Amino acid sequence: MSYVGDATSPKQRSEGSTVFLALLEIRAARGRFLLMGSVVMLVAALVGIVSGFTTGLGNDTVSALRGLPATHFAFSADAKSDQFNRSLVDDRTLRAWRDRLGGDAAPVGVSITRGTTDRGVDIDLAAFGIEPGSFLAPPVSSGAPVGSSGGSSVGSSGDGVVISKKIADKGVRVGDTVTIDRFGITMRVAGITGARSYGHVPAAYLPLELWQRIRFAVPGADPGAEAPRQFSAVALRTGGADVSLAEMDAALGTKTVSREGAFEAAPGYSGERITMTSIQVFLFLIAPLVVGAFFSVWTVQRTPELALLRALGASRPRLLWHSTVQAAVVVAAGAACGGLVALGVGAALGDAVPFSLPASTLAATMAAVAGVGLAGTALTLRRVTSADPLTMLGAHR
Amino acid sequence: MSLALSNVTVTRGRNETRTAVFADLDAEFPAGKVTALVGPSGSGKSTLLAVAGALLRPDRGTVRLGDVDLAALNDAERARMRRTRIGYMFQSGNLLTALTATEQLLAAAYIAGHRPRRERRRAADALAAVGLGHRLGHRPDQLSGGERQRVALARALFLDPDLLLIDEPTAAVDRTLAADLADLISERTHATGCVTVVATHDPVVTAAADTELVCPGALSPRPAADTSATG
Ligand SMILES: Nc1ncnc2c1ncn2[C@@H]1O[C@H](COP(=O)(O)OP(=O)(O)OP(=O)(O)O)[C@@H](O)[C@H]1O
Ligand SMILES: [Mg+2]
Repeated sequence: MSYVGDATSPKQRSEGSTVFLALLEIRAARGRFLLMGSVVMLVAALVGIVSGFTTGLGNDTVSALRGLPATHFAFSADAKSDQFNRSLVDDRTLRAWRDRLGGDAAPVGVSITRGTTDRGVDIDLAAFGIEPGSFLAPPVSSGAPVGSSGGSSVGSSGDGVVISKKIADKGVRVGDTVTIDRFGITMRVAGITGARSYGHVPAAYLPLELWQRIRFAVPGADPGAEAPRQFSAVALRTGGADVSLAEMDAALGTKTVSREGAFEAAPGYSGERITMTSIQVFLFLIAPLVVGAFFSVWTVQRTPELALLRALGASRPRLLWHSTVQAAVVVAAGAACGGLVALGVGAALGDAVPFSLPASTLAATMAAVAGVGLAGTALTLRRVTSADPLTMLGAHR
Repeated sequence: MSLALSNVTVTRGRNETRTAVFADLDAEFPAGKVTALVGPSGSGKSTLLAVAGALLRPDRGTVRLGDVDLAALNDAERARMRRTRIGYMFQSGNLLTALTATEQLLAAAYIAGHRPRRERRRAADALAAVGLGHRLGHRPDQLSGGERQRVALARALFLDPDLLLIDEPTAAVDRTLAADLADLISERTHATGCVTVVATHDPVVTAAADTELVCPGALSPRPAADTSATG
């Protein structure tokens, strides 16, 4: 026999579990535990809802950028923020990138504008100017791709645009003509792609030349006038190619950022992020404190019983486990219910607001709430282990 | 297997309340016999039980249960002794508020690592033996003081301990019941051959015991700090 204190052996057994006791204690104090569980549930629900809005608003702001199959964007170096709006690069930059990457470099122009269809529907649109046939051209779920003309022949000279499903949902159809307000520039809806938007405005994909005419239009001027051959950025697919972005930037006077970095360039994106993240941070601070406060009161209250369990021979590790199980039950049940509430709120809001809470995000968020809640109880564990069985001699219950 | 204390010195409390309860105490408690531990209030009966029950480590001396010196064990080893070999009924505060009478017994079985599902029947029988067959589902706040003490006694007996320590078992029960409980304790002690020590003021219990020990704890009215400061 190998354990310490051999002589204690004749009735040596492995120590039993007190989980059963832990659960019975919850049953006996169910009022208090329900109250605590409800608080955890509300905090968890709030975290879930905020998380849903964070993702939803984020999608509403950058889903069009996320949908572009580029890895980087080369902006002009002088544009420090809101780059898609401020930056202008020209054909020289595009050619330099094309020398390196060929078809994996393509121009993209982004601007927000508004228009009216020939059937009287007012629409806001985030106009993405792209070269028809470049890798940026969006897949269409119905109709024809960007730049198709008429419907008979598919050519790069057409003025066909592809609109996001979100615009189509407003009643715009393939074949409609959109007139850009104030400039009188017209274009024809050729196809419809998935739901994508930029800065809370649904996206539309235009042939680059058409985009340039809108971007550089002056109200009252001839709508057919020649526009500068400039655009917001060169979109790059650098996958595997051996190019130094820094060298290229230095040579071309550009600033190349990753696609995720470019999200910051979307209007409102960082502000929304900061707001939502700070709400979540506070909730993640509140959760452990509330749970910790509850369990420290709970532990102090039943110190005599912990002393009795110790006197009956429960070891310190067992009591720790015992208390952790109790905390885990409340926190996990609270978080699970909170998750369901968040889902319910999401379902009730429907499509009217930008709310998106995929099951995986929800699960991860609720696990995090449960985790920090449980961490809050760590503060009380010292009290659990310090329950003194000797106090049983002076117990008066 | 007997319980033997030798040279046991116990001091309780700290600073101003520091109290020397025993100095160089030698005592032997035979197996299969009930020893009544008598003596006035404050003579150290509960303290002696705590030392024997591996709750309190003496400052000096050995406390041998069979061939184990309880005084030499660390905290975890003492906890193991308590849950596997010692049945203890405290003077008060024995029960867990959340549990029914049956569950109080099962809790001890759980802690000791038994399979409680098989123990439920036995727990009911053990409670019937202390006259509580009709209170199995009652929680402490639904039991009388005497009933609570009997649940505690049933629990102390439940796992057939090698050492049975009982503190004032009859303080809250009537004479007839006191005699019944004293008989139950004797009967179980003789049947299992355990070492039994019962601290009591009750002549009914003393009469039923096999031997008697007058608790030799220090009764000096002066705080021990005065004497220990010079010695
Ligand atoms: N925690 C403590 N600190 C200081 N002194 C203590 C402490 N606990 C007990 N004592 C003292 O030790 C002595 C013995 O106490 P103990 O409880 O063992 O007496 P007892 O014989 O069981 O008395 P009773 O018959 O009243 O239960 C008492 O004088 C008491 O004041
Ligand atoms: Mg006492």
